[in-house]
Amino acid sequence: MGLLDRLSGLLGLKKKEVHVLCLGLDNSGKTTIINKLKPSNAQSQDIVPTIGFNIEKFKSSSLSFTVFDMSGQGRYRNLWEHYYKEGQAIIFVIDSSDRLRMVVAKEELHTLLNHPDIKHRRIPILFFANKMDLRDAVTSVKVSQLLCLENIKDKPWHICASDAIKGEGLQEGVDWLQEKTVQSDPVCEDMKR
Amino acid sequence: MAAASSSDSDSGLTESNEANSKWLDAHYDPMANIHTFSACLALADLHGDGEYKLVVGDLGPGGKQPRLKVLKGPTVLTENPLPALPAAAAAFLMEQHETRTPALALASGPCVYIYKNLRPYFKFSLPLLPLNPLEQDLWNQVKEDRIDPLTLKEMLEGIREKAEVPLSVQSLRFLQLELSEMEAFVNQHKSKTIRRQTVITSMITLKKNLADEDAVSCLVLGTENKEILVLDPEAFTILAKMSLPSVPVFLEVSGQFDVEFRLAAACRNGNIYILRRDSKRPKYCIELSSQPVGLVRVHKVLVVGSTQDSLHGFTHKGKKLWTVQMPATILTMNLLEQRSRGLQAVMAGLANGEVRIYRDKALLNIIRTPDAVTSLCFGRYGREDNTLVMTTRGGGLIIKILKRTAVFVESTGEVGPPPAQATKLSVPRKTRLYVDQTLREREAGTAMHRSFQTDLYLLRLRAARAYVQALESSLSPMSATAREPLKLHAVVQGLGPTFKLTLHLQNTSTVRPVLGLLICFLYNEALYTLPRAFFKVPLLVPGLNYPLETFVECLSNKGISDIIKVLVLREGHSAPLLSAYVNMPVSEGLEAA
Repeated sequence: MGLLDRLSGLLGLKKKEVHVLCLGLDNSGKTTIINKLKPSNAQSQDIVPTIGFNIEKFKSSSLSFTVFDMSGQGRYRNLWEHYYKEGQAIIFVIDSSDRLRMVVAKEELHTLLNHPDIKHRRIPILFFANKMDLRDAVTSVKVSQLLCLENIKDKPWHICASDAIKGEGLQEGVDWLQEKTVQSDPVCEDMKR
Repeated sequence: MAAASSSDSDSGLTESNEANSKWLDAHYDPMANIHTFSACLALADLHGDGEYKLVVGDLGPGGKQPRLKVLKGPTVLTENPLPALPAAAAAFLMEQHETRTPALALASGPCVYIYKNLRPYFKFSLPLLPLNPLEQDLWNQVKEDRIDPLTLKEMLEGIREKAEVPLSVQSLRFLQLELSEMEAFVNQHKSKTIRRQTVITSMITLKKNLADEDAVSCLVLGTENKEILVLDPEAFTILAKMSLPSVPVFLEVSGQFDVEFRLAAACRNGNIYILRRDSKRPKYCIELSSQPVGLVRVHKVLVVGSTQDSLHGFTHKGKKLWTVQMPATILTMNLLEQRSRGLQAVMAGLANGEVRIYRDKALLNIIRTPDAVTSLCFGRYGREDNTLVMTTRGGGLIIKILKRTAVFVESTGEVGPPPAQATKLSVPRKTRLYVDQTLREREAGTAMHRSFQTDLYLLRLRAARAYVQALESSLSPMSATAREPLKLHAVVQGLGPTFKLTLHLQNTSTVRPVLGLLICFLYNEALYTLPRAFFKVPLLVPGLNYPLETFVECLSNKGISDIIKVLVLREGHSAPLLSAYVNMPVSEGLEAA
């Protein structure tokens, strides 16, 4: 196996590994999004609330993502910061139909961005305005307004409207993430040293 | 100095600064049109999907259209009209098996309406109260047309005064009617059976035999009939009945029904009664100095808000622990329970638009709201554990979410001297003039003393002379003999030649009325004319003020003072009361006339 790995690496068949943190409040659809990004034969049928966190893997055209699918429940949110160091990209999922907790998402995003492990790194952040299929969902433009995303100046970010059950909008987001990760990757490597 | 003191008062934890606040502003809708009290608010997972809804027993604007509203997030999910004004709302689990959706209980009038899954499920009515047999007998006779309405009225009135069992609503309404309406009322109501029913004033839930979050709970009802009923959660039979000396308005309970419980009831007579399991009568009584406006139990302390703007803490045996003074009237109170940190605190909505949070005596936090808050509820709402729902006096809805990182710490602000100590006393400065004067006093003190004493003797002499002169001519408005002062004002009504002159006479003795006095005006006839310069004064009752008025007409426009005398009847012309006053000079009115 090791030999095979090395061989495929030399041949350039082995894709580059990227660590991604998937964050967001509970019930926003993080696990569903990650599940939908996996190949269809590896997808699980029922999604239950995550306890602690799960490690999932999926591949895009040129990268292999390792996702830390964190639990968004209030009591587990203090676990997030332990994984900030490993993260090379962040997926932040928002429930667009939950107007009331938009302030909580904003607050969590604010603490995330001001964390010493994140603050000075130029890591890409992908936002999913999820649950677009629901009747009382707000648009992605409105979500970015409510979360004050325009205030993020020092990091590349992108917001996609998505429907994680049907899988709409996910590919667009992953494509953007891949492009940005490839761009910022050497920077990331430099900072690690 | 001022800046420093203001920043001092802002420091600590009581500031409502946006950045440092412990609360996230989730929602504010001033037009939500929700008019309710804390007792009519409940948070419950009505559909069992983990999304908690807010149940509001809404009184409607002006208390006209009672409605049951259920809110999901910031919007109203359903709205049902209610038959009567709601008294309290509560969510509770009825049975252990089955899906764990709680039932919703809404107390209104003599009934408790139970909703399951937001559909009407059961209506519990309070049992009828015993009737007065005499009254029942009377109405039976009416039914057989044996007595007429007038005799019925007389006999009912007799019962009302004597009997210890009060009359039914029907009889009381009959007694209110006019003679003409009685006949029709009797004809309309004689076939109905009379009944006496009471009304629910308050309702809470009590765990039956487990202290768990999802245990079955009993409803505890307080009624206008000074009773407390405990209902079975499934069958809605009465498990226990306790009586109180007054009408309960706020209830608070701890423990479990089957094991041991302590029930505190704040009543309209300003007392709090504490009952225990198996006690039909209150075991302890706490007497407050004023009416209670809210009752909250925090761990083992009963916190009572009183109409004298203060919070009192009592033990479960009725011993007073502490008192905290509020800056404004308390409108509502509720419990704040943050389970993740094991915090229990009392929230008090004040009339000045503040919501204060206290743990025992310590102020933890102040929330400032745009309008005075009339109802408060803290708990899990939607999917957020620590949510505070408030409704304002104007019908607005405010939802705040406690930050995950927020920790309530007692403010250590009030250390050091009070701010009043820092203000400077305004002691006047002394100039050179003062120093020179003291020097002079030190040198010529003896001469100053002597000359001053001489002047004082002279002053006393002149004052005594003037006083005797005034007594002789009776110029003073107070008289010692007849004991009646005379107060005179010129009510200068009218600038023209005619004035209205009012004399105010008062008898200052305690019990002795003064018999017929006479009033005589002496004046310069060349200048004024009075229609009645001499008249009788009515009998002066002690204590009353008699305004006596005359019209004075001025004949010239020169200002000349006039003297008016009051003479005592049959006492000659010694004029015991007398006042002098000055008339106003008359303007051009005379020339024109």
